[in-house]
Amino acid sequence: MSWVLGAGEHSFAELMAVRPNLAAGVAAFSDLLWCAPGIDPVTLELCRLRVAQLHGARAALAERRPEAFAAGLTEERIARLADYGRDPGFSARERACLELSELFVMDPSAIDDACFVAVRDALGEPGTVALLEALAVFDGFSRAQVMLDASPAAEALA
Amino acid sequence: MSSLARIQPPADAGDDPVNGSALGHQPALLAAFNRLYATLWSHGELDHSAKEIARLRNARITNCVFCRNARFSQAREEGLTEDKVDFITDAFEESPLDERAKLIIRYADVFLKDPRSLAAKPELREQMQSVFTPAQIVELTAALALFMGFSKIAVSVGGMPDSMPTMIVPTPA
Repeated sequence: MSWVLGAGEHSFAELMAVRPNLAAGVAAFSDLLWCAPGIDPVTLELCRLRVAQLHGARAALAERRPEAFAAGLTEERIARLADYGRDPGFSARERACLELSELFVMDPSAIDDACFVAVRDALGEPGTVALLEALAVFDGFSRAQVMLDASPAAEALA
Repeated sequence: MSSLARIQPPADAGDDPVNGSALGHQPALLAAFNRLYATLWSHGELDHSAKEIARLRNARITNCVFCRNARFSQAREEGLTEDKVDFITDAFEESPLDERAKLIIRYADVFLKDPRSLAAKPELREQMQSVFTPAQIVELTAALALFMGFSKIAVSVGGMPDSMPTMIVPTPA
């Protein structure tokens, strides 16, 4: 039960709905990430889910972005995500982005040149900026979901 | 943190600290972020001082030099003067800041350091519920998400000076 609204479970969308103009702004910004030039939705979804795993954000973990599945992502790959560093099913590009994602969450000052350059070489500058902005949202709002004790949305569980 | 910027701004980005930064490589995202940030700051239910305290606490923990040295004008006009800002440190509990400001910092610290630990802090949740409305709690939490996320971008890209003068800048609107 979310401590903020009381009485029953609340999805993050239901919690954000108490601030409707802010919810609309967050959604508009977040949706743009999935069509930003320079980064593909599969890599983005893998990074979103890895960030959610690190935070134990159950609402974010239950969600799936349709853009990523339309582009070929499978549940089988998601199930192997925590082992991305050793799993040959993840490309060098995906690994570089996932490594950057983990450091972004834990300590961005620990991102060294090699880690950053691997991403920049793979995505280019616009793609790297899109990834960083996505990580800002994924990290920030996974934390927000945990803080507000958001439950998975009903449609995510269907 | 890298002393050299790992991504240079676009050549035509200008010299605004945000619009002239590496974020200019994604102009549609930058425009959407600016709209969102204006909504957060100027069309919200929480006072500017409360959000500014949270923003500055994040800036000091995340160590974003730009964020640490910027002051939004509306919060300053509401009374968040520099002598109060000086108390937003790790020793804030012993400072003369009022209890509401201390509560915001306590909540921000949990968000920034270990969000899962809030589940084991019923007193903090109860204090938040007694001082803020649900809409204000959601707004403060979303504000922290944006403050932290975009500070981390600046730290990740690098190239920030070690120190900067304090600057009063217009509140996003």
